Amino acid sequence: MGNFLLQAQPSLNFWNGENGSTGLWLKIGLALLAGIAMIFVLMQAPSQARRPIVMFVTFVSGLFYVLYYFWPRPVDRQPGELPRDFVETVSFYIDDAFGIVTDLSSVLSGLLLGLGIYSLLSVHLRRISRKQRDWGFSLVLLVSMFGMTGIGYWDWISRQGEAGIRLEDPNNWTRINYVKDMFFDGVLQNMDAAMFSIIAFYILSAAYRAFRVRSIEATILLVTALIVILSLMGAVEFLWNGAIDGITRNDANSFMNNLKLTEISKWLRDTVQGAAIRGIDFGVGIGALAMGLRIWLSLEKSGGKS
Amino acid sequence: MSLGEKLMSIPKWALYVVLILVASVPLFVPIKVPNQPIEPAIDLYGSLMNLPEGSTVLLASDWTKSTRGESNGSFDALVKILMRRNIKLAIYSSGDPQAPQVARDAIAVLNNEQRAKGLKTYDRWNDWVTVGFFPNAEACANAIANNVRTAFSGRTESTPEGTKRDVFQSPVLQKINKVSDFSLMVVITASKTSNITIERIYGKGVNLAMMVTGVMGPESLPYYSSGQIQGLGVGLKGVYDMEQLMETGITKEMNSSKWGVVPGFPGESNIGNGSRYYPTLHACLLLLIVAVVVGNIGTFLTRRKAK
Repeated sequence: MGNFLLQAQPSLNFWNGENGSTGLWLKIGLALLAGIAMIFVLMQAPSQARRPIVMFVTFVSGLFYVLYYFWPRPVDRQPGELPRDFVETVSFYIDDAFGIVTDLSSVLSGLLLGLGIYSLLSVHLRRISRKQRDWGFSLVLLVSMFGMTGIGYWDWISRQGEAGIRLEDPNNWTRINYVKDMFFDGVLQNMDAAMFSIIAFYILSAAYRAFRVRSIEATILLVTALIVILSLMGAVEFLWNGAIDGITRNDANSFMNNLKLTEISKWLRDTVQGAAIRGIDFGVGIGALAMGLRIWLSLEKSGGKS
Repeated sequence: MSLGEKLMSIPKWALYVVLILVASVPLFVPIKVPNQPIEPAIDLYGSLMNLPEGSTVLLASDWTKSTRGESNGSFDALVKILMRRNIKLAIYSSGDPQAPQVARDAIAVLNNEQRAKGLKTYDRWNDWVTVGFFPNAEACANAIANNVRTAFSGRTESTPEGTKRDVFQSPVLQKINKVSDFSLMVVITASKTSNITIERIYGKGVNLAMMVTGVMGPESLPYYSSGQIQGLGVGLKGVYDMEQLMETGITKEMNSSKWGVVPGFPGESNIGNGSRYYPTLHACLLLLIVAVVVGNIGTFLTRRKAK
């Protein structure tokens, strides 16, 4: 097994291939087909058999990372060095396997993209074929998706080889490069920015309606937020600090320096905000650990049920 | 309807119209806002200016145009400093599949500015490479921490001759064998990849710095306070701080005991998104304060009348 994992390292072997070669594409295709076949078989298996398989795979996957973090790590390991005892054998095995496991993990994450596309297609093609409500939007979505994909690949192909460097300069662009630029930078990216900027309207509306002095806690929150907002305004900060400097006549040892907006906001940031976020992160970390253990040991059975 | 009730019930559309006006006007009227760079930004600038010339910085570029005001400004400021200091850059992304293309486009824009001024461009392969997108941020950061050669294996980049070659054959990465060989690792992000990077890569011998959006600022600050990251630029204020520092350097008046006096790049094209959008941010924050004050005056008047 250790040899198998070592074979998948960057040097060329059965498990990889020359970048861009037909052999590599063939292997990728075959691996994809094998993966689909395995998922199909798993889906066809009776539920009593499926659960232990999923439990076993989950446990082994989790066990690898548990060992990676808790098992002693090889220090200053030299190429070709042989392990001296059991502990070192396991540590070498984990060290060798790590790259492959992270690659596998990345591949699995990449497959989610395919799953997302499949899901989009199945939902929106059904809506279009049945002429359901707002089917026109579904059509726009699919046309946009395939259009952007096609244009993106066309542009990518045009940039292969020597042309790639020449096309770094927009003066040398061809029509497809302009089309891709218009759709990617001109439309998609700007729509992305426009969607995000809408948040400003909600923030203003919510602040106006919700930020009211209703209790002592709300007042403290309001005053703190006000100081933090003011500290983000360089002009206000400059004037406020300048006024303090004027009062203290630039005496660096004056107590009044603590009232500078920079100092107050720094104190709030480091003492109040930092501590609160550390507390939240600590709680989230413990919760994630508990949930991770439940998933790893297949104790979490509620997932997917209503 | 009493004055208090009127102040408490300004219609949404009126607020939105005022916001549009307040946000738009400063974009057309350039204003130089006085500013005092804060310590995390000074530390970020100091870290970048103290990197050895010719070394390589690893950049996790995890932003798209949805946060271009902040992230593109951070990216431009970083690349300008590295370009002027002859420091190489390796870029990877694990937060968004669009991010590598967005980073390439941002460098192309900077190179066009350089070309227009007849200055040296920041060249792909010789000065910078993109390693590409990795779909799992946790696994990617783990792999980089464990073995950067394995993590980036098989990734190719275009050479000046137009051929594709392994990124580790480039002048940018040829001397890199482990993550600690990078002189600095910077994360420009609008998402949790900053935290993931610290959790997985901190302690592996490479210094870390972050340039995050205002939303991600509070989450990143504890790591700056604890000394786990060397410098931090937060939001548009962070970008404006960087642009000001590029113009003036770290001056004696900034009282930085850590860095002392560090030169800037006076007279060069230091203005970017920070200078462009900071007045707008000012105006919008002022409007936010006014809206909150007006709402509270309304509440106060209504309560007093009810009594």
